[in-house]
Amino acid sequence: MKISVNTEIALTYLSARKKQTLIASMGVMFGISMFIFMQSLMKGTNDYFEKMSFNTTPHIRLYSENKVADNHMMLSYLKDPSFKLLTNPKQLIQTQGIINPYGIIHEILKNPQIYAVTPQVTADVIYTSGSVQLNGNIAGVNIIEEDRMFDIQGNMQSGDFHDVDRVNKGILIGKGIADKLSLHTGDNITVRSGTGSPAIMKIVGIYATTIKQIDETKSYANIVQVQNLLGKDRSYVTDIKINLKDYNNAPAVAKELETLTGYKVEDWVKANEQLKAAFKIRAVILNSVIGVILLVAGFGIYNILNMTIYEKIKEIAILKATGFSGRSVISIFLQQAVYIGLMGGVVGILFGFFITYMVSRIYIGAGTLKYLPMSFYVPHYIEAICFGVLTTLAAGFFPSKKASRVDPVKIIRG
Amino acid sequence: MDTLALKASGINKNFYDPVTFQVLKNISFEVKKGEFVSIIGKSGCGKSTLLYVLSTMDTDYQGELSINEQKVTGLSLNELAAIRNASIGFVFQFHYLLPDFTCLKNVMIPALRLGKLSYQEVEHKAYERLKILGVEDQALKRADKLSGGQQQRIAIARALINEPAIIMGDEPTGNLDSKNSNIVFDIFKQLAHELKQTIITVTHDEDFAHKSDRIIEMSDGEIIAGH
Repeated sequence: MKISVNTEIALTYLSARKKQTLIASMGVMFGISMFIFMQSLMKGTNDYFEKMSFNTTPHIRLYSENKVADNHMMLSYLKDPSFKLLTNPKQLIQTQGIINPYGIIHEILKNPQIYAVTPQVTADVIYTSGSVQLNGNIAGVNIIEEDRMFDIQGNMQSGDFHDVDRVNKGILIGKGIADKLSLHTGDNITVRSGTGSPAIMKIVGIYATTIKQIDETKSYANIVQVQNLLGKDRSYVTDIKINLKDYNNAPAVAKELETLTGYKVEDWVKANEQLKAAFKIRAVILNSVIGVILLVAGFGIYNILNMTIYEKIKEIAILKATGFSGRSVISIFLQQAVYIGLMGGVVGILFGFFITYMVSRIYIGAGTLKYLPMSFYVPHYIEAICFGVLTTLAAGFFPSKKASRVDPVKIIRG
Repeated sequence: MDTLALKASGINKNFYDPVTFQVLKNISFEVKKGEFVSIIGKSGCGKSTLLYVLSTMDTDYQGELSINEQKVTGLSLNELAAIRNASIGFVFQFHYLLPDFTCLKNVMIPALRLGKLSYQEVEHKAYERLKILGVEDQALKRADKLSGGQQQRIAIARALINEPAIIMGDEPTGNLDSKNSNIVFDIFKQLAHELKQTIITVTHDEDFAHKSDRIIEMSDGEIIAGH
């Protein structure tokens, strides 16, 4: 391969000053490896929290909301627009739950983006064991579907969640409830709802998420058991939970379903606004840290090239005297910057991967979080090298420009 | 033999700092191909300033300059760089080689810049030039490891590599002892007479000047002898 004379000169200058070249590219290397490390940690953490939130909330939740009474029915009955009705808006309690839930589920399943749909009955309850009482809520679910959507198995501490279906009046309780009422798998617990009669249920298992509030309040039972507990019939459903193949489509699908069913449909983004806010804040922190690192690396390159140019000013004059144009001189010095950037970039990527890997092996052991969540995401590495090369180009541009403006007469005549 | 290598007509140049001072006054002369010209004069008479105007590196002057019968006054800096690369070779007082490169590379760089020949051809040609100047055994040493006289010979080889129309020397022997001065002079003479190479040098060295074909003497920015 034929390399141009500019490249040859650039490479000779770099290799003649190995130490400085090394230090400059180490600056870039640290910048890029930190970039990769921070990006991996952030994406890993975000993915983890996203996954965590899907352990408890579905991608989309459809439920019937209490409505404000208005007068449109009355007006359509009177059929006379000259009537002015004065009303006092009041909340209407929807005691019926979702009307025709299985028909709605059937309709929802026609959407090709849907991964799983499950009906649910939720109710506020009071748990009693001996003389101790505890407020909480119970979810009547199809436990197999629930596991498919929320990975119940991964949170199980003792017992077998399948027994919710198999054991009559089986209940799966959170670890917090178990601790507060000092209950174990196999014990009995009294569950009382606001409307129905109390029921004595059998604890078939105990689960623990990392969210204390859920562990201390929520329990699972078969949907029929909860309907019985509330004294409702088999078509009583309060929520329909929907998971999608790609959760990023949730807001769009939620909107579709809202128009289709007429019920309130909430996607996970709305339900977890604090999570999204945390993502955004983390992104700002991360980007400012990375920006500072790359800025420092850029100044390193700027400095070293500037020094090179002061040192080589006579040689630049000679090059110009022997017929190198300003553009050639820029090319010589800019190439040096780019090689420093590429060298630092390649080593930085390897080093960044190494740090990321090592940190992903650090044991944390908080709740279900055993190791630091790190993602190994290829676009981060591509981004990193692009940023590295861009920074070095920017840092190299000004010194190169300066070199191209050297007046050979002034330098040679002294 | 009547083609002109260089023609200057009505060159004027002023320095403005600290006070306006006319350093070149209406200078006109011609140099034929194959001539060996020395420009002499006292310090401050403007002879070096004139050389840098002739070299196309200094563009801040009035008047007109042609090299190889091509008008160069008014060309852009990049065009001038290309002309210097192809048509002018330089030898400076302080040899000014690139110390990070081998002698061979130093000689090759202007030819590689010109890009007319392949790398191998340039290398071959550079060796030939070094042989003419008797320093081919130093070819692979780094430039800053050589003695002053050897470095000056490398610099001459570099000036020759693109077969320029003119070689310009700014005190080419100014930093050399008499033995090395004689060697350099002999080389210039040989180049002028045997290879028909045009040479313009600025020098203090009376002996050197008197041995050349033609002397242009300057005083206070004017040519006083040697038309």
